[in-house]
Amino acid sequence: MALLTTRMKNWLEGTGAHIGTASTEGIPTVIVAAKASFDNSNTVVFDLSARQIDHIRKNVESNPQVALGPGGLGSIRAAYQFKGTGRIEGSRLKVAIEEIYSTKPGPEAGLRLDTLPFESVLRFEKTRWQDDGPPASV
Amino acid sequence: MKIPEEIAGLLRLNSSRKAAAYLATAGLQGNPNLLAAPLTDVHQDEFVLLPDLFAQKTKVNLNENLRGAISLELPEDEGGWVLEGPCNIFQWGHPDAFRWKGLTAGEVLGRWGNWAGLEDLEALPDGLRPVVVAQRGVIALQVETVKKIGGK
Repeated sequence: MALLTTRMKNWLEGTGAHIGTASTEGIPTVIVAAKASFDNSNTVVFDLSARQIDHIRKNVESNPQVALGPGGLGSIRAAYQFKGTGRIEGSRLKVAIEEIYSTKPGPEAGLRLDTLPFESVLRFEKTRWQDDGPPASV
Repeated sequence: MKIPEEIAGLLRLNSSRKAAAYLATAGLQGNPNLLAAPLTDVHQDEFVLLPDLFAQKTKVNLNENLRGAISLELPEDEGGWVLEGPCNIFQWGHPDAFRWKGLTAGEVLGRWGNWAGLEDLEALPDGLRPVVVAQRGVIALQVETVKKIGGK
């Protein structure tokens, strides 16, 4: 399991995420969830509409691999991609995060963060961003 | 299919879109990947184009599985649009005659192969502006379906 920083959690909670799934044959799709919460330190929870659940249910139940990219302003200022294992419980999608990547354009794009020491991830964030999450107005 | 104008308008060059779209691809094992796509354009009302600025995992996926999905979010927690269809990369080095879905590499790369000549990349917000603009090609998705997937 990957350990998320406070900044990562704040952006996901504040701006939600685009949620990528795929069929077992590799047909991808993606939905947008505006908000998220956390069950524990690395399980992110999305409350979804019936339409959203219908759209991803078959994929997640047959192939639980899920990719997440921060939504809204987070798509610009929170350059992360999260990958993990998803499960549907009622109207909720829960994703246990297992991999975290930097998507910051340039040489750091694709850098895997969860395999670094946690202190190094915190230092990585601190030297690249000033914020600890989205502004209050978002 | 023809992309509805309310969506195409959000995907054209220099649109007023405030957030990046995302391109989802997957390997043949079904492992999904997302690529933030702040730069997009629409061609012939049915193709969405975006620059390949060294989208490494996307390229790996498309090399084995020519499918993609693009998401665009709606305001006020209304969910988003998803545009799905076949997807490929026209890469610098392809012969001009390389053809996919009626498009040729010469046509696509000639018009979109240097995105910095189409949009002012310096005006992109910090966090999206490439440190070095090194465009490897153009990713094209032919839209087959458009769905509005409403949120809570």
